[in-house]
Amino acid sequence: MPLIGQLALALALIIAFYSIVANVIGARRGIPTLIVSARHAVWAVCAMVTVAMGALWTSLLQSDFSLEYVSSYTSFTLPTFYKVTALWGGQQGSLLLWTWLLTVFTAIVAFQNRRRNPEIAPYALAVLAGVAIFFLAMLNFVTRPFDMLSAIPAEGQDLNPLLQNYWMAIHPPSLYTGYVSASVPFAFGAAALITGRLDDSWIRSTRRWAIFSWFFLTLGNLFGARWAYEVLGWGGYWAWDPVENAAFMPWLVMTAYLHSIMIQERKDMLKVWNLALIGMAFGLTLFGTFLTRSGVISSVHSFTASGLGPYFLTFLLVVCVLYSGLLIARVKSLRTPAEFESYLSREAAFLFNNLVLVGIAFAVFWGTLFPVLSEAVRGVKITVGPPFFDKVNAPLALALIFLMGVGPLIAWRRSSLDNLRRTFTAPAILGIVAGLCAFLAGLHQWYVLSALSLAAFVLGTVVAEFRRGVSARRHMVSESAPKAVVNLIAKNNRRYGGYVIHVGVILAFVGIVASSFFRVEVKKSVKEGGSFYIGPYELVYLGLTTRETPHLESAIARVEVFRAGKPIAVMAPAKLFYKRPQQPATEVAIRSTPASDLYLVLAGIDDNTGMVTFQVFLTPLVFWLWAGGLIMALGTVIVMWPNVRERAAIGAAVRAPAALEFDAQTVPGGE
Amino acid sequence: MKPGKPLTLVAALLAISLGVAAVSLAASIAAKTSVQDVSEGLTCQCGCGLTVANCNHPQCEFAVPVRTRIEGMIANGMSRPQIIAWFRTQYGEKVLSAPTTEGFNLVAWIMPFAALIAGGLAIFFAFGSWRSKAAVAPVAVGAFDPELKRRLEQELRERI
Repeated sequence: MPLIGQLALALALIIAFYSIVANVIGARRGIPTLIVSARHAVWAVCAMVTVAMGALWTSLLQSDFSLEYVSSYTSFTLPTFYKVTALWGGQQGSLLLWTWLLTVFTAIVAFQNRRRNPEIAPYALAVLAGVAIFFLAMLNFVTRPFDMLSAIPAEGQDLNPLLQNYWMAIHPPSLYTGYVSASVPFAFGAAALITGRLDDSWIRSTRRWAIFSWFFLTLGNLFGARWAYEVLGWGGYWAWDPVENAAFMPWLVMTAYLHSIMIQERKDMLKVWNLALIGMAFGLTLFGTFLTRSGVISSVHSFTASGLGPYFLTFLLVVCVLYSGLLIARVKSLRTPAEFESYLSREAAFLFNNLVLVGIAFAVFWGTLFPVLSEAVRGVKITVGPPFFDKVNAPLALALIFLMGVGPLIAWRRSSLDNLRRTFTAPAILGIVAGLCAFLAGLHQWYVLSALSLAAFVLGTVVAEFRRGVSARRHMVSESAPKAVVNLIAKNNRRYGGYVIHVGVILAFVGIVASSFFRVEVKKSVKEGGSFYIGPYELVYLGLTTRETPHLESAIARVEVFRAGKPIAVMAPAKLFYKRPQQPATEVAIRSTPASDLYLVLAGIDDNTGMVTFQVFLTPLVFWLWAGGLIMALGTVIVMWPNVRERAAIGAAVRAPAALEFDAQTVPGGE
Repeated sequence: MKPGKPLTLVAALLAISLGVAAVSLAASIAAKTSVQDVSEGLTCQCGCGLTVANCNHPQCEFAVPVRTRIEGMIANGMSRPQIIAWFRTQYGEKVLSAPTTEGFNLVAWIMPFAALIAGGLAIFFAFGSWRSKAAVAPVAVGAFDPELKRRLEQELRERI
């Protein structure tokens, strides 16, 4: 198996080189057979990397400890599920997964564009193959997943206990899918710059890819936060750790890009800006991997710090220089007569939304790198932690939420005062009333009041917009209100899916604000039968049981929870002791309700006194962070849902000029 | 309701909200020093990468005694800045969870907002140049074209 895997990776590298050469020469000289051959090469690369993936997975499942990777990240006793997920538990496997996703997406792009975009698709495929070559070179020469050990150990070193969690099973693949799929719009943007076809066809062709990337970046961040919440045992979910920041920045820039391309599609403006944004998003995905792999900044998530940093940094710099050079060379052709009438317009709101999103991304980038800068300039190592990011980003988040309410409802070109009054009076009153109610309910922090008011304002705008749409439908075609809602979303899925995403963002925002400001913590040591209070809950410690498997030993505490004297739940936080590597871990118990999460950690066990220490957090509304995230995902699915009218528009935009079109059936070996 | 009334109402409610916010801000500034508040200003040195308030090692050799020490310092009447300054003299700048607001560290705080202002100015100037170029064509007011009306209605039926 290892030999097959290594051979497959070597072949993939050679074929990827060929695909670039064939695509570029085929496109430049107009040789359809060469382009078809290049497309087949792309599929062959995908097949080879799939073989390598299969080989590594087989070795992991067979516990083939002759392979260094398998012996480093698994053991005989590791549950099968984690043997599967160990593929991305280490560096080589992670890079292999990344490369596999990239080649699969490239293969799909080749298939989608076999009769579309004949001018730019070959160059886009060449760019994607160029990225794949970098990763394949890493896997072939720098960090090989199929390296063998000279002496085969009797047992493996096992997977890091922190990674033995189901969220870690889905968090890295989701995030990688988001990272890698951002390569597709980037490659088409680069291809548009190379070929000079600078209309919006590259955007229309890859808009769905950009949304797909955003969808998985959202899920990746959400799953990562959930993993931190359940595994790290500190009651929080986001620590502004460099690796978390690295995942967050591409999400911010992709969000800006998805809003900004609407202006280009609608008004043919911001061409340079959109190309810059997608370049930034792609660069940040590489930067994220550089941070995770280089160890240049200490991080709680750097499970596999290595010497890969310089390679990634070099590649990142090469990409930045080439892409910026292309962009600068084409600036004149990208300039179009822009049309702007008023600050009270949707294009202005979207531009400010872009400013704030990119501003937050920059603040995060700056804060993440500042320790390195400080050490270089002053020779003093400093920490840039949560207080910095919270203080800098908190006002920007409020501005963003405000714009989220204004942007979708304000008119294109120019809004009259009357129009603004009609659209925003009711939501504004709702926001202000919500803030006043919160104040009267005893919430006195200005940030909380502002956040709640703005959240209510945005929800008000969305509800008003749905109401307007439904009443228009019922006026035009008489149907029931629920049916009108469904048809409204189905016929305008892009617009109303976007509103659903906004609702998700608002719910998540409320969850973040409430959980950050009002979390309560209690730490108590009790004996069996002892009890203590947190908020409205009484917790009674019932006793400790132990359990042993070949893999780990666990001590499980049973705690009965009472509210107003009535038993409502029995919770079971545990302390785990992994046998290989010998490492303790905590398993928290969480009782989640829409109002609050009761989060119980078994912090310590004193065998001499029989005392057990619990750390308990009561976190209000954190449920809505996860629910909001899932609603964002649902909204994205609605946006991505195939729409006949949009397909027709894409078809019209990317249809090839007759002279350049070639029929694959006339090509030997063509489809 | 008269046309001007909603705006007046919104303005009044906004003024009340701002007043409320100002009062609550003053209240939050005057709030007492707490262990949580101080320990969020310090970075744990055990390698967890979190603040002393959030260190996830229940028996942490750094965070646990530091929290106890902070409790004692608060009981002795020390303020948050005094406590943070004391820890800084003991462990150096790396123990702070955010850059100070002095010397080169000021750059950390200023730069994000400077970039934002620069971006805002860029948008402002871009808008200015776009606005001056845009020729505002007078809108012809006349009889509504029946064909246009038919197409508009058809489009509405399709889209709504």
